[in-house]
Amino acid sequence: MMRTMRYFLLSLMILVLLAGCGKKPTQEIESTQSAVNAVISEGLGKYAPEEEKKLKDAMAAAMDEVKVQDGKTFKNYDKAKQMLADVKKMAEEMKAALPAKKEQAKQNALSALEAAKSAVSEAKALLAKAPKGKGTAADIQALSGDVKGLEDSLAEVSGLIEKEEFSEAANKANALKEKASGVSEQIKQALEKVKGAKPAKK
Amino acid sequence: MGGCFGETQLPPELRLVEQQEMDLWRAEAHLYLPQVYENYKKNLSQAKRDLLEENQRFPWFRDYGPIRDEFLKLLKEGEELQQRLQIEKEKKRSALLDQFESLQEKINLLSKLTILYQGKPPLRVHLTKAELLLTEAKLLLKENRLIASEKKCPLVETHLHKVQEGLYPILARYQHPEWIAKWKRWAQETIDESRQRDIYSILIIKAEKKLILLKKGEPVKTYPVGFGKNGWLDKLQARDHATPEGKYHIIGKNPRSKYYKALLINYPNEEDRREFERLKRKGLLGKKATIGGSIEIHGGGKDHLTYGCIALDNASMEELYYKVEIGTPVTIIGARDERNSLSLALTDLQKKDEEKKNP
Repeated sequence: MMRTMRYFLLSLMILVLLAGCGKKPTQEIESTQSAVNAVISEGLGKYAPEEEKKLKDAMAAAMDEVKVQDGKTFKNYDKAKQMLADVKKMAEEMKAALPAKKEQAKQNALSALEAAKSAVSEAKALLAKAPKGKGTAADIQALSGDVKGLEDSLAEVSGLIEKEEFSEAANKANALKEKASGVSEQIKQALEKVKGAKPAKK
Repeated sequence: MGGCFGETQLPPELRLVEQQEMDLWRAEAHLYLPQVYENYKKNLSQAKRDLLEENQRFPWFRDYGPIRDEFLKLLKEGEELQQRLQIEKEKKRSALLDQFESLQEKINLLSKLTILYQGKPPLRVHLTKAELLLTEAKLLLKENRLIASEKKCPLVETHLHKVQEGLYPILARYQHPEWIAKWKRWAQETIDESRQRDIYSILIIKAEKKLILLKKGEPVKTYPVGFGKNGWLDKLQARDHATPEGKYHIIGKNPRSKYYKALLINYPNEEDRREFERLKRKGLLGKKATIGGSIEIHGGGKDHLTYGCIALDNASMEELYYKVEIGTPVTIIGARDERNSLSLALTDLQKKDEEKKNP
């Protein structure tokens, strides 16, 4: 009887130990998920989309491991815990590196904006040399509308930078620079056309 | 095959599939073929779970054969997905290039039309914004960001639509049968008068930006001309920068004009005055509006912008000045037939819009 009792107690202890190892890492899941969400909400996808994907995939893999253990009689979440810890570390590292990435994107957008500004200023300066009002070339009058459009768009780029849409801002600024250079070229051609001719009236 | 891989030793196909999945994602399969890619991802997750489960078995009983087959199947699925993706992207790229071409044509056409009608709100500003957005779309295409590039096209259309909305009422006159009939009648009367009286007459056609000198009803010389910034419009009041349309005659010659040489016409004539009064009565013109005057045919250059006059190059003006005299009829019309350049441009724009609605 004593012997049976001893075996029973031993089995019970083993079961309790196994159950202890097999406790679902709910807290680890929550804290890892919240670390992942935090870095994503700070714009990881915008500044490092590939990193965001890697992070999401790693989180999904860790959760797969949790699910596999969920379905077992003798659960062992050690590997899942390790995976969750790795994901959390990855998320924290990415979060720490994010401001530098953001700053880099911002600097790119700002330098594209500067280049666009200088191209628009060149077009404006050329336009200022053209005759005004009566006698101006029809092309030049039309091109002054184009320059106004360029100036409006410069303001849009600044607005995008304020909204931290750096990639969109840089792309718009690059397009602006290209178009402003084209307008400058057209103004030069129009000025060439009117050179030497007398102005018209009414 | 059984027991070939330990928990830390994964089947080589897993790494290949993972790399393949990353490549597919980088190639934006999730954007072009979302359903198919989602399926592939689901199968990949399942295969990974199966691998995990296999790893949980006692080493002697592990069999990685089916797992390996699953990954091989996935690799094949991924390859097919890559091929479909490439075809999809090529199709989109080609459609985008076609769209860019059509938008660029529209921009070029509207650009020409807005030289002589810039209107309010400023149509050129919208046109510039449309061109900028198209440039953005082209830059994105260069970076292989097809979907982002595609998203810019409707924005280009929005700005072009605003330009068209501003231009249509102006250009519609050049397509309208009643206006065309009136202009044709004026032109014919001018030709007949020149023939019957054996005199020089001047016919100015806005849509063609031409001045035709007639003698005995036949054209003897054609000169290119320029107008004001609202040249496509009929003059209604002072400072509207439009050029009047109607039947006039020369009432003054100025050999020492500020603009080389000038021929003054009798704008406003009786009809212009009646129309001005009618519009004013109807409240379509401001209370302080005046009818304007001093409309001339002068030198200075056909490329110069006038305030409503008709400008010629000085050499042309020199020739014309000495051929005509006080009393020479001057008829200014919008167009002489239905197939004028502005009407054709408008038809072209309407056709493009129609094609877009019903591709």
